[in-house]
Amino acid sequence: METVLSIQNLKKYYGATKAVEDISFTVDAGEVVVIIGPSGAGKSTVLRCINRMIEPTEGSILFEGHDMAKIKKEKDLKAMRRRIGMIFQSFNLVQRLSVFQNVLHGRLGYMNTASAVMGRYAEEDKQKALDILAMMGMESMIYKKAGELSGGQKQRVGIARALMQNPALLLCDEPIASLDPSSSKIIMNQIQDMAKKRGIACIVNLHQVDVALAYADRIIGIHQGRKVFDDVPEKLTKEMIETIYDAPIEELTVGLEEGVALHA
Amino acid sequence: MRKIHVIPQKQKRNTLIALLIVAILFTIATIQTEYQPLSFFMNMENFWEFLLVDLFPPQLADPPTIVEGIVQTISMAIAASLLSCVFSLILAFLGSRTTAPFQPLCKIIRFLASLQRNIPSMIWTFILIMAFGIGSVVGALALFITTCGFLIRSFIETIDEVGAESLEALQSVGASRLAIITQVIIPASLPGFLSWLLYSLEVNIRSSTLVGAVGGGGIGLIMMGYIKQFRYHSAMGVILLIAAVVIIVDLLTNYLRKKVLA
Repeated sequence: METVLSIQNLKKYYGATKAVEDISFTVDAGEVVVIIGPSGAGKSTVLRCINRMIEPTEGSILFEGHDMAKIKKEKDLKAMRRRIGMIFQSFNLVQRLSVFQNVLHGRLGYMNTASAVMGRYAEEDKQKALDILAMMGMESMIYKKAGELSGGQKQRVGIARALMQNPALLLCDEPIASLDPSSSKIIMNQIQDMAKKRGIACIVNLHQVDVALAYADRIIGIHQGRKVFDDVPEKLTKEMIETIYDAPIEELTVGLEEGVALHA
Repeated sequence: MRKIHVIPQKQKRNTLIALLIVAILFTIATIQTEYQPLSFFMNMENFWEFLLVDLFPPQLADPPTIVEGIVQTISMAIAASLLSCVFSLILAFLGSRTTAPFQPLCKIIRFLASLQRNIPSMIWTFILIMAFGIGSVVGALALFITTCGFLIRSFIETIDEVGAESLEALQSVGASRLAIITQVIIPASLPGFLSWLLYSLEVNIRSSTLVGAVGGGGIGLIMMGYIKQFRYHSAMGVILLIAAVVIIVDLLTNYLRKKVLA
């Protein structure tokens, strides 16, 4: 598979605090890479350095032939960001706007300033938004306000918005952290689907080790800003989980025994 | 058995000290102003006499003039509110940290707004009368200045409240700053803007009477005229009319605000 993203020696320091310390990895097209690690380990920082929502201190982020870390002009950065979709823990929709409008927002980066400012979307973009929403089983609520949806529906709108960008890379920051188990499953299935059917490279930050084991092609473990594990799920041992989370496995499994025990 | 404190000792002591300070301040202030609540109640007869004999029954001496005054006062309030809304919107987008094209401007606009806001509209009226003379233009202008100060601040807060979250989403999509403003910030903060505009209208209806009384024209000036001529019955009529207008406007704006925020 073709490599979509290649990160070399990524570092992010906040003064003396080392949020990310020398992380390198690559992601191929259609691959689902799950990053696990305790809260504050630097998972979100790594993700946001990739599309430069956070400025990395050092390192290179090679994406589609360009080093994201070296892009200076805002215009060039925006052009690159269009190809990187992002999905958020709190969905980050505009609550007062309709589902349809929120999904169309995914096209804003591609439009000329005048059309974008006026919100004049091309008919083919609208058709594409309808198709994506239909595929997600949300065609009946396109004119509903985003604020009125359930958590799982909101996240589906979030994914639809990201798909509108025609992304080569999808960054998912704790996509199921605020969802119930059944919605979580739908969302994770959908992310996996996007990766496999459309060949999108997906990086997913997760809290839940069992979900990571179930969906990841590869798992990256981060502990205190450093990469301590990078391999297929089958290689993730009980000892490694303890190293990543810096705690004995008994304290880590709140009702997740089956999932972890399966592989440990 | 050891005593268990529901409220920490330190907090108890601080509350006590605060109460003591308030009591001392009250005593000093009362002595200083020679304000004696008891003697005020003793002299109530005068008050009641004035109220019942001099003010009642209320009269509407010159309906056409009074109606004109009221229309003038309401127009003053509406004109000041709407005009300052337009100005404040522009300045708020330049003054909010999330939308400002360059940051130093934020501080300047915030300072300007606080200056406009912290000088009361009455004072602005006095200042403007010195420049332009008595009239409803001065009243509207004074209201415009204070309303701008107030609306700029409220609008900036509304914009800042839109939430870093939806902003983050649109930035990650690669949208331009202007597109983010029109597609996210304006739709998300529109109800907030309208609600503040309605509130400023409400406040301005009230203060336009006051501003009028000190020389800004309208019904306030008419009322002041009656009082100066000792025509208390007519003054009372106007006062009741003003109260009715204020209450009606309050009810109306409350109704509209509920509709807008729903």
